[in-house]
Amino acid sequence: MIDSPVLRTATRFAVPITVAISLVIFWQGHNLPGGGFIAGVMAGSAGAMYLLAFGLAGAARIAWWRLSVVGLLISVATGAVPFFRGFTFMDHGILDFHVPILGHQHVPTATFFDLGVYLIVLGTLMTIFVELGLEER
Amino acid sequence: MNGPDLLLPVIIGLPFVAAALALAGGRVVGRRIGVVMPLAAATSFLLALRLAGLPSAHEPPLFRYDWIPALQIGFTLRGDGFGLFFALLISGIGVLVGVYALAYLSDLGGSRLGRFYAALAAFMGAMLGVALADDLILLFVFWEMTSLTSFVLIGFWYEQDIARRGAVTALLVTALGGLAMAAGFVLVGQVTGTYSISGLVASPDLRQTLGSSPLFLPALLLVLLGAFTKSAQVPFHFWLPGAMVAPTPVSTYLHAATMVKAGIFLLGRMLPIFGTADAWFPIVTTIGLATLCLGNYRAFRETDLKGLLAFTTVGALGLVTMVYGLRAADLDALQILSHATYKGALFLVVGIVEHAAHSRNLRDIGGLRTRLPITFTIAVLAGLSMAGWPPLLGFLAKESLYAELLDNAALGTLTGLRPAVIAAVVVANAFLFGATCKLIFGVFFGPLRVAARDGDHHDDGESPGLWLPPAILVLLALGLGLGGLTSTTEQLVSRFSSDPHAHLHVGLIPTHLGPLVLSMVTTALGVALYVGRGVVDGWQRSLAVLPSMQSVWDHGIEGVTAFATGYSRRWQNGSLHQYFSVILASTTGLTVFALLRGGLVFRATPMGFDNLTWYGLALAGLLLGAVYAVVTATTRLAAALALTAVGFMVALVFVVYRSPDIVLTQILIETVSTIFVLLVLYFMPVFRPHVPSAGVRAWNRGLSVAVGLVMFGLIVLCTSPGFRETRNLGQDYLARSLTDAGGQNAVNVIIVDFRAMDTQGEITVLVVVGLCIFGLLRARRSVSE
Repeated sequence: MIDSPVLRTATRFAVPITVAISLVIFWQGHNLPGGGFIAGVMAGSAGAMYLLAFGLAGAARIAWWRLSVVGLLISVATGAVPFFRGFTFMDHGILDFHVPILGHQHVPTATFFDLGVYLIVLGTLMTIFVELGLEER
Repeated sequence: MNGPDLLLPVIIGLPFVAAALALAGGRVVGRRIGVVMPLAAATSFLLALRLAGLPSAHEPPLFRYDWIPALQIGFTLRGDGFGLFFALLISGIGVLVGVYALAYLSDLGGSRLGRFYAALAAFMGAMLGVALADDLILLFVFWEMTSLTSFVLIGFWYEQDIARRGAVTALLVTALGGLAMAAGFVLVGQVTGTYSISGLVASPDLRQTLGSSPLFLPALLLVLLGAFTKSAQVPFHFWLPGAMVAPTPVSTYLHAATMVKAGIFLLGRMLPIFGTADAWFPIVTTIGLATLCLGNYRAFRETDLKGLLAFTTVGALGLVTMVYGLRAADLDALQILSHATYKGALFLVVGIVEHAAHSRNLRDIGGLRTRLPITFTIAVLAGLSMAGWPPLLGFLAKESLYAELLDNAALGTLTGLRPAVIAAVVVANAFLFGATCKLIFGVFFGPLRVAARDGDHHDDGESPGLWLPPAILVLLALGLGLGGLTSTTEQLVSRFSSDPHAHLHVGLIPTHLGPLVLSMVTTALGVALYVGRGVVDGWQRSLAVLPSMQSVWDHGIEGVTAFATGYSRRWQNGSLHQYFSVILASTTGLTVFALLRGGLVFRATPMGFDNLTWYGLALAGLLLGAVYAVVTATTRLAAALALTAVGFMVALVFVVYRSPDIVLTQILIETVSTIFVLLVLYFMPVFRPHVPSAGVRAWNRGLSVAVGLVMFGLIVLCTSPGFRETRNLGQDYLARSLTDAGGQNAVNVIIVDFRAMDTQGEITVLVVVGLCIFGLLRARRSVSE
């Protein structure tokens, strides 16, 4: 932890913005630069920023490894759904549906797989940051 | 498929449902969970009985489901006479053992009892699967399930070191054989193109194809290895006595009545397929006879009751193996049924004796005749069946065996073979007789002796839950023996034989002189052995000079462990320098090897300098400068920062090539990994310039140069015109990205769609790494606290 008011103030603004950008990057990943992996790393770097400014106390209360396990379950489930419906494992498709306010949605099922990747990357990065940070010399 | 066909999966499925219930429910409903497994067993038994009651001219019920059609593997179940015979045996004795275990494990709490019954029920389901499977691969799957569940059951008292060792040995031996058997099955499938057992048996053409294939003998030997390990045949017999550390109901169920008979069952299934082989008779008969002799001989020496029964079981299994070796398959159901009834009863009797006398060693106990009158009656009847006395089923079994030996065609092929085999079998049976006498007289006659009890055990005596199951088994042996007066027994065992044309003639009233004489000789010899047991014991002691197979096996396992440890110590020694050396050297070497083998040589690739730009040159210069800074850094921090600089320069290179995805990735990864490096550096000891020896420095230099050259060469090769034209996967991905995967960003589409399985593997590794770091650091901290 770096005890600096400047860093803390900057972080207060930077973390939400970085997380928001990471979500955008995640969502647009199928068509524009981005994707689950890179968005996860970006969210992880936001987490690192938070740790540096505010210390471990808040972040260590969360069991981050659970996040990566949830991500793994999501990605496996995405692959398993087509399998149980008679296709091969990881046979992705495209969902087209209509949401009232947002209008027509065009979502490849690979996006759910990508969500798993996002959560795993974020969860694993934060686990390692927190655990290394908790080490005492 | 009609009604009876659909019963087959129900028979197998019920025990697994019971297992799940027992596992989940033990904690909730306590010891009452013990009724689930016997109930499932009873239902399976009744269903199997319903199938067995179908007219025998009827085509056997067949359940078919395409499991892995691409590999011709089907979830196919078939209820022929032999399969149903085993199913009835497994589920019927399952009921008895399930009831008995509830009384036997009277001190056990609900949760642990639930786990016990879950393993027992799952074992029963797997065993039923082995009995009814009509697909070789399916048979193998159920086979391995019996090995795994029996591992849990043998090691049930896992607090004891000896139980864990017995369980591991049994698992290793039977799993080893199971794998060999699987390899044999695959060979059969490769040669014939089918895994269907009934298909192979029914088609002379397929068997002809198999028989004339050069893979025939290897397949036969591998399958036999599976059967011999499972059924504890010489030289793999040792795991069975070792497995006697299991609770007595488990020993009864697995090691007398069912699991050890799986190998026998496999022989019965394979005889119609492999039986024509010349190798079948000598191998199977010799192994069977050797096992019969060794088992009964060793049983006579034992003073531990379960050990004694275990060795007689080894002997009995050898006997059935020998019967198959002689291709006398029509005898099998009779021999198996006879053994299952008396041996099951005797094991359960030993359990009662152990409860009452607090020991199962003949040295500590005796005279229990008056204290356990019902048990005594049961034991005498079962003992008479084991010794082969009328009017019990054991008598019919032994008479028909002797009749077969006197008449068998295969034994007539070599002069002197028949008398030798008959003599060996008679002597082995005499030892069995003697062992039976030792057991009955030792436990129940003489002055009353019980072991001093430790702790405050309440005396169970003879509760009906304990004596009823063995009583039923013994009554079965008696009833079927008396059934020899009419044609009931012979019809029954002929119906259930693996030989569909079996017409066995067994009667309680002897019709031929030969077998009767052999029986009398056996009895006389047996009595002599028992009377002279002091002398015989001395001989046996002086003959026991060879190392036991158990110690040979243990040494083998120790050797493997020592090798693995040494290998790990050598290569996983913690030296980062060595790891990198090995990785880099093998990468370079393999690349060069692959390029040379693949015929890819570095032709004079035209390298154009015409689109050289000033920013390209500047970037290259900066990169080189940063790399130089890494190499010459004197502190870790400086090296880490310089490395980060290299990373950002590389990101700039990708800007030049207009690859936004990679730029984004590169920059973020550099940022995050710099944080990591700084976090880790904090814990590293102070950097001390370490000067390696001249040899190591020369190696480092040579390796670095080689890696650089090969990498450079690879890049030149990949960018050369000819290479790009022949292998342009990128164009293909770009073309299909939008149409096939609905995404315009080909990089991401490759990651999450085209190569999703790779990504799945990578993220799984990532999760595991995260969990390992979490676990290791947490564990280390909790130790230091």
